[in-house]
Amino acid sequence: MMRTTYLLLKYTAILIWSSFVVLPFLWALTTSFKTAHGITSGATYIPWLQYEPSLEGWKVLVRTGGAGINIVQPYISSMVVTVGASLISLALGTLAAYGLSRFTYRLGFIKNSDIRFFFISQRIMPPIVLAIPFFLMLQYFGLLDSIIGLIIVYIALLLPIATWVMVDFFNNILREIDEMATIDGCNPIGAFFRVILPNSLPGIVVAGLFCLIFGWNDFFFAFILTFTKTQLLPVAVVALNSSVTPWWSLSASALVSVAPLVIIAFVVERFLSSGNMAGAIR
Amino acid sequence: MAMIELSHIAHTYEPTAVTPAYALEKLNLVWNDGGTYALLGPSGCGKTTMLNIISGLVRPSQGRVLFDHVDFTDFPTPKRNIAQVFQFPVVYTLMSVEDNLAFPLICRHVPKAERQRRVREVAELLNLTDKLSKPALKLAADEKQLISLGRGLVRNDVTALLMDEPLTVIDPQMKFEIRRKLKKINELYALTMVYVTHDQTEAMTFADTIVVMNEGKVVQIGTPQDLYNRPQTTYVGYFVGSPAMNFIKCTIDDGKLQIAGGAIPVPPGLSIPAGTENLQLGIRPSNVKLGTSRCEQSLRGTVQRVQEFGNYRVVTVAVKDELLRLKLAPGAEIPALDTWVVLPEDRICLYADDELLAQK
Repeated sequence: MMRTTYLLLKYTAILIWSSFVVLPFLWALTTSFKTAHGITSGATYIPWLQYEPSLEGWKVLVRTGGAGINIVQPYISSMVVTVGASLISLALGTLAAYGLSRFTYRLGFIKNSDIRFFFISQRIMPPIVLAIPFFLMLQYFGLLDSIIGLIIVYIALLLPIATWVMVDFFNNILREIDEMATIDGCNPIGAFFRVILPNSLPGIVVAGLFCLIFGWNDFFFAFILTFTKTQLLPVAVVALNSSVTPWWSLSASALVSVAPLVIIAFVVERFLSSGNMAGAIR
Repeated sequence: MAMIELSHIAHTYEPTAVTPAYALEKLNLVWNDGGTYALLGPSGCGKTTMLNIISGLVRPSQGRVLFDHVDFTDFPTPKRNIAQVFQFPVVYTLMSVEDNLAFPLICRHVPKAERQRRVREVAELLNLTDKLSKPALKLAADEKQLISLGRGLVRNDVTALLMDEPLTVIDPQMKFEIRRKLKKINELYALTMVYVTHDQTEAMTFADTIVVMNEGKVVQIGTPQDLYNRPQTTYVGYFVGSPAMNFIKCTIDDGKLQIAGGAIPVPPGLSIPAGTENLQLGIRPSNVKLGTSRCEQSLRGTVQRVQEFGNYRVVTVAVKDELLRLKLAPGAEIPALDTWVVLPEDRICLYADDELLAQK
């Protein structure tokens, strides 16, 4: 009896939470195939029966000229900026984190933990504080409204996240593994690349996922630091809006925006189990 | 292979402190080529620090590390050609057993054919041949520890094999087996081996020479027999041997040792400087005998307790205010209450201020 009640409660909770997560997507999916008429005529869910499906919402996204905004170019730009900045942040962040985890730095009263906090503090600051300095610096170097400029800014935003996640991960890898590798004949760099890095895959995946999510979803800097030549996806999606809200194309763009992250989440999910590291020692 | 010399070595982990606590106090030590050594002492006595200084994982605060009279103090670990096995098995989990064993050779750019030959040789020695292709992660703790050991043996340029309590995670049955293998390896390759342990049985059965440490100091260096028969300090007497050595306070009066209400002759050849205080008599429980009648070497006592250990029994006898323990054969006859305990003069050690007095 207890067990039945437990199972019942468990599945009810799962059902409620799943609906909470999935229903907005279903809403967006049905809405993206509706026309203006289909949306204003009350809540409908079943295509052909309750409303006539239309591809208008999707077509707008790839059409040049006329109504709507072509999001293909912003999509590609967003991918280049996000992936580029994430990879560079991950590479630099992993190296920085290894240093912070394994070596002791001291500069006056500043110690490892202070350096670590300095990294995190970059994310505690409200982004608006950084907007003007970034704008002026990019302007100075002629990098406003360019992919390169955005990549540089995004690296500054993503590096703290990558470092933060990786320091924690490296701290959990026992020092004996490094020591063993040096005894086996590796120098510290060799030990890092040959032994520590392959063992850190789950951590790198987590850090990479955070970088991709934060980079892909950023609207603020993409909006402030670009004008006409370069446009990123979140800005393009917002630009779709007009005096009459085009729910169909907004829904379609929301779905294509979220799609890469969903796909990546499914692909990397198997790396995320911390069990991968268990048994490295002991 | 080489002779390892620690010259005026001392180490502290807090070099900036005003009065730093030393994990290792100033010492000189020589490890001869091909010898088997055990570093014996309680946890925190500086054993691991000493090992890490030899392997270069720790740079000593003072002193020099010499390999065959060449100063290696500032040489990085990879250049020292030391093999080290840690307390807990360290294996590269993403590699197979074979790749784990080959790793030190890959790092040293040994040609593939030579690499494979040596990996097979070591795998055979350690009974790992049938597991070579398995992922290292899947092995049991003792097999993982064998891999750690194997990575040290696979190289032919190893100066010394250092082992830091390597059998902690191993089942008792396997411990014996691995120790046997280590002995065999020592005979085969004449490899200098240093074995850190806090288990005296391990130290006694493994090493030719034992270095006893306490609170960062080397207390005694000697063969297992030396440590057992002539402990240099009362600490070694307590630490080595089971049950521990008996220590009884005594004084010298009338040319005799006044001990627990009785008197026995001073052992021959002993020179006791005038004014020596805090005198203690030390004798191993296995050297104390039960007597049936009074003699020159005997004291009167009362049997208090008998403990059975299967292959021996320990009898506790109260001699006035002192307790003496005797280690006797299982069938030995034990009087019900009052008895004579005999302290053979050639087995007596005398200590002044916890240090052994010299005997000619």
